[in-house]
Amino acid sequence: MLKYVKKYWVFCLLAPLFMVGEVAMDLLQPDMMADIVDNGVLQSNIDLIISVGIRMILTVLLGGLCGVMCGVFANIAAQGFGNDLRKDVFAKIMHLSFQQTDKISTGSLVTRLTNDVTQVQNTVMMSVRGFVRNCVMFVGGIIMLYRQSPKFALVAACGLPFVALFAVFFLRKTAPLFSVVQKKLDGINHIMQETVAGARVVKAYVREEYELSRFDEANDALCAENLRVQSLLAFMGPCMNIVLNLCVVAVIIVGGWTVRDGGSITPGNTMAAITYLAQILHGVTFMANIFQIFSRARASADRINEVLNSPDVIVDGGHTGIAVEKGSVEFRNVSFSYPGGDGEEVLENISFRVEPGETLGIIGATASGKSTLVHLIPRFYDATEGEVLVDGINVKDYDLETLRDKIAIVLQKAELYSRSIAENISWSKKDATPWEIKKAAEIAQADDFICQKSSGYYTPVTEGGHSLSGGQKQRISIARALVREHEILIFDDSTSALDLKTEASLYKALEAECPDVTKIIIAQRIASIKGADRIAVLDEGGIAAIGSHEELMQSSPIYQDIYRSQLEEGGDKQ
Amino acid sequence: MSMAKSLPKGFENAPGAQANVYKVSAAKNASQPTVNFRGRPGGGPGRNMGQTVEHAENVGGTLARLMTYFGKSKRLLVLLLISVVCVTLAGLLAPSLQGSAIDHIAGRAWDQLRSCVILLLVVYLGNVLFTLAQSLLSARLSQSITRMMRHDLFKKMDHLSIRYLDTHSSGDVMSRMTNDVENVSGTISQSLGSLVSGLLTVVGTVTIMFVYCWQLTLITMVTVLLTVLVTKQMSKVMRKVYRKRSAILGQLNGHSEEMITGYKSIVAYNKQQDVIDEFCQTSNELRKVSIKAEILGGSMGPIMNCISNISFVIVAAFGGYFAYTGLITIGTVSAFIIYAKQFSRPINEIAQLYGTIQTAVAGAERVFALLDEPDEDNSGDKELANITGRISFRNVDFSYVPGKQVLFDFDLEVEPGQKIALVGSTGSGKTTVVNLLMRFYPVDKGEILVDGVNIRDIRRDFLRDNIAIVLQDTVLFSNTIENNIKYADLDAPDEAMVRAADMSHIRHYIEKLPKKYDTYLKQAGAGLSHGQRQLMSIARAVLADPKILILDEATSSVDTRTEKKIQDAMVQLMKNRTSLIIAHRLSTIRDADKIVVMDQGRVVEIGSHEELLAKQGKYYELYMTQFAGNRI
Repeated sequence: MLKYVKKYWVFCLLAPLFMVGEVAMDLLQPDMMADIVDNGVLQSNIDLIISVGIRMILTVLLGGLCGVMCGVFANIAAQGFGNDLRKDVFAKIMHLSFQQTDKISTGSLVTRLTNDVTQVQNTVMMSVRGFVRNCVMFVGGIIMLYRQSPKFALVAACGLPFVALFAVFFLRKTAPLFSVVQKKLDGINHIMQETVAGARVVKAYVREEYELSRFDEANDALCAENLRVQSLLAFMGPCMNIVLNLCVVAVIIVGGWTVRDGGSITPGNTMAAITYLAQILHGVTFMANIFQIFSRARASADRINEVLNSPDVIVDGGHTGIAVEKGSVEFRNVSFSYPGGDGEEVLENISFRVEPGETLGIIGATASGKSTLVHLIPRFYDATEGEVLVDGINVKDYDLETLRDKIAIVLQKAELYSRSIAENISWSKKDATPWEIKKAAEIAQADDFICQKSSGYYTPVTEGGHSLSGGQKQRISIARALVREHEILIFDDSTSALDLKTEASLYKALEAECPDVTKIIIAQRIASIKGADRIAVLDEGGIAAIGSHEELMQSSPIYQDIYRSQLEEGGDKQ
Repeated sequence: MSMAKSLPKGFENAPGAQANVYKVSAAKNASQPTVNFRGRPGGGPGRNMGQTVEHAENVGGTLARLMTYFGKSKRLLVLLLISVVCVTLAGLLAPSLQGSAIDHIAGRAWDQLRSCVILLLVVYLGNVLFTLAQSLLSARLSQSITRMMRHDLFKKMDHLSIRYLDTHSSGDVMSRMTNDVENVSGTISQSLGSLVSGLLTVVGTVTIMFVYCWQLTLITMVTVLLTVLVTKQMSKVMRKVYRKRSAILGQLNGHSEEMITGYKSIVAYNKQQDVIDEFCQTSNELRKVSIKAEILGGSMGPIMNCISNISFVIVAAFGGYFAYTGLITIGTVSAFIIYAKQFSRPINEIAQLYGTIQTAVAGAERVFALLDEPDEDNSGDKELANITGRISFRNVDFSYVPGKQVLFDFDLEVEPGQKIALVGSTGSGKTTVVNLLMRFYPVDKGEILVDGVNIRDIRRDFLRDNIAIVLQDTVLFSNTIENNIKYADLDAPDEAMVRAADMSHIRHYIEKLPKKYDTYLKQAGAGLSHGQRQLMSIARAVLADPKILILDEATSSVDTRTEKKIQDAMVQLMKNRTSLIIAHRLSTIRDADKIVVMDQGRVVEIGSHEELLAKQGKYYELYMTQFAGNRI
């Protein structure tokens, strides 16, 4: 984190310097005031009152100017720091591997980028201003107090340890409670989110009262915890105040005695001392708060560092050259298990080859490893054992960008962005013409429904694509993959929400328009992949059989089983 | 080829000025104009981001309504006010006592000094004790109000109509429940104290000051007025800058959230650099505006400090002069300095309070607006003794949004125990039929009868108790597996649960888990595959043991072999039950008693599988695409 502050060291230095100026001016005032009282008023010296008064006003103005300048520099430093940090964190997130984003959830990444960065930035700001200010105030106050009379300084010295003690005590007590509150708050948010999201189920099963009682329980717990923290904190201010007030009384008594005994203290001194005392103790209280902020910022900084320091798992191979083949994919004895998982192999010793222009269907039960298999091709994950080759070259040797440019993969979950439909389709090819966009949409069977919308291709996609049906989203994301030419096209169960007729037209159009592209298609329905050149049947992480539909119908019992479950009678009549 | 005419269909209706959308450059390939989509054509349901400073619509009414919440804890409120008054009085007395103490020192009146110090101690002690009481009470008050409000809101949310939830984002509802409620109760209970003590302090201070010396008081007032004026001017400028900043901040947060959630596609399309560039651009802009805003905001402190110090000097100088002329004593000057500070503080506070209260009231308005939403229709109180499960739809018309009709004259008779399948392409209205039967929405025209009784006349909860539904989007709760399966009836015996799990083919999976049915599903079952989630929600429906069963695409994410097994089990389950099944896969529904083919909100064909095939109509067409051997 310090590395980011370094860049702004000039500002970080200037800001406190001006802050010292501001505080010094603040500290001078009670002293001047004492001068007015003791030498002006008591000695009946009007000229002195006026000259000191003018000096005081000048001091005040200078102090104000210093304060503003300090703010300027502190802000340049803090905002610049925050900006640099934010950009780096975002860039880092964009280059994380899938396994890393799987580990830190996307929700948490968003919080880290927004809340945590702001938190740290504010702390930098606070420490440059508040921390320095109060430090100077504290030290300066003690010096000035000592100048009024060493006896007053002694009074402060007696009071301070108590203030410090109270501060530490309350911080220790409340700090752990805050995380408890946060947890309870998360809990209540959770119940709310679930109930809103699952409203239909709640209503269908007539469980409104049950959900309410569940919520009340969490709500009561949260409020009770909050109350505990706040009650504890309620003691902090009064405790600090007791010390401060006792010190003021002590100053009056000490001042009175010394004056009585003809000592060196004057009424003006006593007055000034009361003001300084208030400033010092105020400084201490503030520091206590700052430490609280620091500890919170520390947690934020740790969370940011976790992102920034995460290693580059996928190492760029650097190969950008032209391969001999165009569009072949080969798996050689590939095994894979999720890093950080329980070591269970998701894929086991897989070998096969897809020729350029060939269409490979992949079918298999839920969790048989289909998605994982295709994710190894564009290196979303790296194979644990064996090698994956694209165009005859190991994917690990490729320059990542070159490799991924060869491949268009349509993911299971259609991720759309809140821009127009046209922009979503031309996502992978910025300079796509309307004709290219329309062509892609036509192949993806999306043109019809897009044109039916009143704004056509300019219809905005709302956040997360809520305004579109599942099938529409899938078709738009397929169009996105098709708008640009790729060597290899991968569908990761990307037509599951389409009805059969639409799906059939899509595949027909795809075959007609992109005959030379290598296609790998994962599907649940046999009808989706029946026409593929070859079909791989995945079962528990291994390839159970591979071959054309007809071959598999002859040889693979699993395939026959799937076929029967879906098509049964009637199918063979064709 | 002329350029503008040749734009393809779907591109001609750009909202906003067309000229902005197309940048047709003649220099480039003339037949293929490049399109500039960045211009984000205006219009359309865009999000309103620039909303920061909030203004309540009806401050009086909302405050009055808020007060009813406070009224529920009258005792707390009264105690709080008492302590506030005590704290304020102590705060007012202390400087005056300090002042006279200094006077006594200057006048060498030692006896008076002693009694004065003792009095001061007492006042300090009172101040501390009542401050403590004030903080404790206001914490208690705000928490109890938060609790009540949240409870009311959740209860409301529980009873809102599905239509409301469909048309409002869940984020919005959530933010009302958390941010707004906390903001409202916290702000109000805190500012209540500040307001009362502020007003008291101002009145008290001014009175005491006038009693001491009216000349000096007037001088002090002028400086205070100056403070208030400057504050007001500055906050006007600041509000503008801050508003701009929050707009950019909102943009940045929105962008990052979307990009991080959609990160996989970005990686898949090699778009990282573009996205990062875009982010940096917004981020830099934010930095620029933020510096401006923060410098302005940060200057506020020093400037206020400056003004308050100037007033301090003026008071001191004039005080010194008056003391010199013998109008007042030294102690009075000392007291005035403290009073002058004490006086400007609450005035500033009240000025700021105005803003906070405005925001809080706006928040309260949002909360109340939600509370004022009508409850779901709860008419009807009939309970049918022995539901047989006969369902009739008669001439039902329905539209979610006025003007966009979804169902047209929908007619359907379902005999008790029949298995009915609804098929048709996406958007043909299948799910709508189910929504209407569940009374999630009221019909526009026509009627729906269960056992011959209009469902509007049947008690809503009774109706829903007798229908179990498995939805396309599986919903599980962060709870144990047991509580999820037993959702319909938490008191159900364990055997029923195990049987339900068994019939839904999830028992094997659950019993392999170390904690079996006690396994806690984190994040609403995020760790489960979609198929497992679906099986789990089927088990839930099985356990509910309803007369009418609805499966809305319930098995779409289960692989077909498992689905087949579930179906076999379902045959058992569906005995003596009326069931409605919606599915894309025709294999799922082939053995239904009746297949209803829907197209664009109308029933186009009804009949058994064989009948419909023989008819060679729409169903035949759908069915044949399944086997057409569509070459990929």
